[in-house]
Amino acid sequence: MHLRKETISIQERLGEYCRTGVKLELPGVTPGRIHHYRRLISNVVNDTLHTAFPITVAALGEHQWELLVQDFFADGIPQTPQVWKLPFEFYQYHAGRETGKRIGKPFLDDLLYFEWMEIEIHTMPDRPFPDFVTEGELFNDRLVFNPEHEIIQLSFPVHTHPVREAIELEGEHYALLYRMPESGHVQFLNLSALNIYIITRLQEEKVTLNEIKNEIARVAGIESGRYLDEALQKFLGDLMERKLILGFTRN
Amino acid sequence: MEGKVGLGLRRDIAEEILDSRILTPDFLEFAPENWMGMGGAWKRVMDRAVESFPITCHGLSLSLGSPEELDWQFIRELKSFLDENRVTIFSEHLSYTKSRNAHLYDLLPIPFRRDAIDHVVDRIRRVQDLLERPLAIENVSYYTPVAAEMTEAEFVNEIVERADCKLLLDVNNVYVNAFNHRYDAKEFIGALPLERVAYIHMAGHEQVEPDLIIDTHGQPIIDPVYDLFEWTIQKMDPVPVLLERDFNFEDLEQIQGELTQIKGILNRHWEVTHASA
Repeated sequence: MHLRKETISIQERLGEYCRTGVKLELPGVTPGRIHHYRRLISNVVNDTLHTAFPITVAALGEHQWELLVQDFFADGIPQTPQVWKLPFEFYQYHAGRETGKRIGKPFLDDLLYFEWMEIEIHTMPDRPFPDFVTEGELFNDRLVFNPEHEIIQLSFPVHTHPVREAIELEGEHYALLYRMPESGHVQFLNLSALNIYIITRLQEEKVTLNEIKNEIARVAGIESGRYLDEALQKFLGDLMERKLILGFTRN
Repeated sequence: MEGKVGLGLRRDIAEEILDSRILTPDFLEFAPENWMGMGGAWKRVMDRAVESFPITCHGLSLSLGSPEELDWQFIRELKSFLDENRVTIFSEHLSYTKSRNAHLYDLLPIPFRRDAIDHVVDRIRRVQDLLERPLAIENVSYYTPVAAEMTEAEFVNEIVERADCKLLLDVNNVYVNAFNHRYDAKEFIGALPLERVAYIHMAGHEQVEPDLIIDTHGQPIIDPVYDLFEWTIQKMDPVPVLLERDFNFEDLEQIQGELTQIKGILNRHWEVTHASA
């Protein structure tokens, strides 16, 4: 380390002021200029987070939102060199401190997480697409899923309801977010726990629908038969139309 | 790339550039931090850009002046990105963007001091070794010096010479600093090692107070900056020149006009030199 302790201290004090706004004395500065650094840095952070979380901003109101941003920037130690990933750190910071509960907005974690996941799915590195054919048998061939998706669990259905309604519906809620292959746009589906179970089994175990049909019936607590077949046909056919299921494979 | 005029690839104008509708730069510059690790639609835009244009990269977050250790993991990822995208020039700022391990996402002024020179020289050398390419270091705009023990020109010169790196000469930054700190812009440029300049940046700025200009990259370049640019390029060999524009994209014809004006100035001086060589 070549830097003198005094130089390090000066640099750190300037950085600290930019994050916290707590006034400081620094040697050899032009009066009335230092505040521009805090202003410019705050603009970058505010713009980045405001753009990433429009629904949360609307749900909290500008004043409460600004307090959350100030807390995070003063105390949160942003780690990512890529500012577009800062919203994830903002979510982690407030989830880790249970800010939502503290300010009487228990949906906060879920809303931040859902809005972040839309960014994450849109920008995440490309995943390899498996080979598939578009013609096949829904029950007898293995189904090929669009690999660019994630399933998230939420306590409040902030993805389907305005927060004032979602707050009354605490429970287990699931959303599946995925990236459309051609456009790259992000879509999401509201799914039940049984839906998630079926998708997960078909993907992870590389089985056909026929091979797990009885198992699905047991989990759902219904008879395996025509009613279940029709329900599965409707559910999975819908996923094919929505391009979450790309096609079939016999490999 | 010498004598070519480029434009920063911003998402707002990416499709416009790639479809060559109004904006027709010779090359494009990325901020790697804004594109690294991205897939999906933006990756496809970046891939199209790399296929269609020569690429330079201008880093934002190496934080060469910070007290804390360099982020070697990030620098390794950066090297992969630069290699994959056939980047011809990689530049960074002579500033710090990280303090007490927190990223600040803007450029803070390094104290113009001897210990800071030793520190930054050592870091530039180590980064160049890992990246296996020279760094071009940009003279940054600053709004106040902090605890300076020497002039900005002395500070920049010694770092560039001892680190054996290139210089990214930001002409607008020189103009901004000369105005803000009341020094002579031409004298400052005349004191720089112009033989080390690998790249030039041009940009617009905003005067926010009677005695203060902020380097915004959001406004058209003003005539005194064009004049300083024309004066400067006559003292050096041809290099690529980039127009930085980060926002205010409503009038694309005006931005193309700036590219054309820069090119016209280059052609007046550098092509003549080539023809007589």
